[in-house]
Amino acid sequence: MSATQEPITVAPAAAASVPILELRKLEKRYTGTHALKPTDLAFEAGEIHAIVGENGAGKSTLIKLLTGVTPRTAGEIVWQGRPTDLSTPNQAIALGINAVHQEVVLCPHLTVAANIFLGDEDTARGGLLRDRAMVRAAQKILDDIGFALPANVLLSSLTIGQQQLIATARAASRGTKFLIFDEPTAYLTRQEAAQLFALIRRLKREGVTIVYISHRMEEIFELADRVSVLRDGTLVGTRRVTETSDAELIAMMINRSIEQIYHKETFTIGAPILEARGLSGPGFTDVSLSVREGEIVGLYGLIGAGRSEFVMGVYGRQRCSGGEILWRGRKVAVRSERQAIELGMALAPESRRDQGLCLNLGVGLNINLPVFDRLTRGVTIAGGREREAADRQIADLRIKTAGRSALALSLSGGNQQKIVIGKWLNHGAKLFIFDEPTVGVDVGTKAEIYRLFGRLLSEGAGILLISSYLPEVYELADRLHVFRGGRQVASHGFKAASHEQILTEAIGV
Amino acid sequence: MSDNAGALASQKARFEFSRLLGLTLIGVLLAMFLFLSWKTTTFATPGNMSNLARQGAIFAILALGQTFVIITAGIDLSVGAVASFITVVVAMLIQSIVPGIAEALAVVGIPASAANMIGLWIAILAALLLGMAIGAFHAFGVVQMGLPPFIITLATFTALRGVGLLMTNGSTINVTNDAFTGFSRGEIFGIPNLFVVVIVVAVPAFVYLHLSKYGRYLFAVGSNPEAARLSGVNVKAVTATAYILSSLCAAIVGVMLASRTGTGNATQAIGFELEAIAASVIGGTSLFGAVGSVWGPLLGAFILATIRNGANLMNVNSFWQFIITGGLIILIVYFDGLRRQRR
Repeated sequence: MSATQEPITVAPAAAASVPILELRKLEKRYTGTHALKPTDLAFEAGEIHAIVGENGAGKSTLIKLLTGVTPRTAGEIVWQGRPTDLSTPNQAIALGINAVHQEVVLCPHLTVAANIFLGDEDTARGGLLRDRAMVRAAQKILDDIGFALPANVLLSSLTIGQQQLIATARAASRGTKFLIFDEPTAYLTRQEAAQLFALIRRLKREGVTIVYISHRMEEIFELADRVSVLRDGTLVGTRRVTETSDAELIAMMINRSIEQIYHKETFTIGAPILEARGLSGPGFTDVSLSVREGEIVGLYGLIGAGRSEFVMGVYGRQRCSGGEILWRGRKVAVRSERQAIELGMALAPESRRDQGLCLNLGVGLNINLPVFDRLTRGVTIAGGREREAADRQIADLRIKTAGRSALALSLSGGNQQKIVIGKWLNHGAKLFIFDEPTVGVDVGTKAEIYRLFGRLLSEGAGILLISSYLPEVYELADRLHVFRGGRQVASHGFKAASHEQILTEAIGV
Repeated sequence: MSDNAGALASQKARFEFSRLLGLTLIGVLLAMFLFLSWKTTTFATPGNMSNLARQGAIFAILALGQTFVIITAGIDLSVGAVASFITVVVAMLIQSIVPGIAEALAVVGIPASAANMIGLWIAILAALLLGMAIGAFHAFGVVQMGLPPFIITLATFTALRGVGLLMTNGSTINVTNDAFTGFSRGEIFGIPNLFVVVIVVAVPAFVYLHLSKYGRYLFAVGSNPEAARLSGVNVKAVTATAYILSSLCAAIVGVMLASRTGTGNATQAIGFELEAIAASVIGGTSLFGAVGSVWGPLLGAFILATIRNGANLMNVNSFWQFIITGGLIILIVYFDGLRRQRR
């Protein structure tokens, strides 16, 4: 396919509004996939331009092209009116293009100051580092942008959210003209997100162009001037945020309406599966709640509010120090994960990369990990059953993979999440604990996961759903418990409280 | 439809890739065999072949045990020291208790040679159990005390030699039992006994690593212990098994060495741990864990043995052997890295 060459006309009259960066028929092919189809898009200087799309829509490819990480297949990138090569990261940095990624890519064992100046160190003659000068300079940068963080501590002593802020400060401090954020708030608390937004607005006032990639609609409407929607490597359209709605954007992203995403079905509620009575343990105190057959119980709170710690206690990962657990009416002491699994619990943990998956092993092995006992005949695993069990979940959950032996790391976030969930479906659990099941997952996969909830409930299971995304627990949970500082601070029935009230309870103002 | 076809094609490609390194190693081994048969008159002789099989057998078993530990993303530096220590133990047992056992059994009317064999087996099993106990100690250090594998096995690496030297007062124990020392020279159907031991070890190792759930768990623990744990895998037990099996393999090698040299000596097998790690890595085991096989370290060990054997026959300065081995490690691991990237 050869793109027809259009004569490039430069209108001098419009010189004032020359876009800072313009894509002309920009295109990227990898072997086998057309990751970005010929795309025309102009970024205006000083705007906040959001980009939304499902996983695999081409957002990551676009970032890689703009930051020079990967070379384009065809088309042009025009920087301030001039075509530019942009085929290495250094060229991007020289132009003033920087990116802040979802996962912090800094050195945890160095100080905050050393990280801010990494690769751009202040050295005295002879190459010796001027550490104290750098700490002072770094502290000034942090103070100037209003982050109350120390510059002389190790990066690893900060929370993930704070580290994210440091990464942003680092990018902002380097003469950036064009800054790309890739899901920056995925791991941030609300306060941290608010600090980040303040910084982004400040950068905008200073004339920096911001590209903001996020799955969270409310952030886009709060922050962005314009929003572009990608679907299957194609730019579907660009809108001013004042002239669109999240319903329209979602429809553009997936060709589906918002009601179909939070698809709440009600089932007859049966006997209690799990009851926690005054349960305490590391990071949570005096939690009492129950999950019954056919219901979703939501746990809402900020990151670090004790929700994950509580389920780790229930699941036997952490030893509880007080209170009791009743499993289907019988008092139990859960001492290990294996015991929890034998009782009939299943856990899709918070971090799929750190806790959920063996990334450099096959999809099939990951799916079958909890059930190898049952696939074993005598001393060896029955190969046929093993393949069949893996293929069943790949087909049922529509996991996009080259096959059961493809490595888990080769899959997209949404498909990895399906593995984390799918490994428990062959097991046939009674209580499913989903900890942040839709972080970094595209809207289409979200809808599939929610539909799966319905299927599990209809089969008589109960679900404990942890989410930091309020609409998710609000729309889905039959009962909602709010956590703050390791304690359960409020409990509500289905939609029995307003968003504002729940937020206030979670933040504690 | 096209999705399906693509999936099938790439699955096939993966299948071929995973076999490729195995084929490369067999190719390397065959090429060396052909080259040495052509260049020397002494290589392709029955005598040299069984010699090669014996030399390779020692490292093959050490490397196999080492591989289990490396798959869990650990390392076992103690295998040479354990093997050497076990030569002392088994030699002492044979010299001290076997004659007594044989006499006692002779009284009951068991023929002398059979009584001697029973005594030897008791001594060997006791030595192997002691080997497993050393492995259990490593496992305790790693899973209970939380020590890095490098450290706990480095500790035994030095300490066990000291224990062996104390037990022998620094001297060498000569084994005077002909049935025991004769074993390493013997053959079954023309196959050297020591090579038969490799097969006897490799078959259950293959079942364990590639066919049983415990093998799957070993890979899972090496890849992500937390994910394995939350999926119900007993991570501590799985990790401990790897260390115990590695020390068991080292103890088997200790018994083989004692039989081959006819001595128990705490200063044998110097540097064998590095040879075992090299053989394992040449065989495709990743030092980052979660990648490895049973056939890889076996082939790696015999490639190293062939280099040494061939270099001797061709009168290559033995110092060159070390350099060749070093170069080969870099080459093979580099090409293996390329292969992985292409996935």
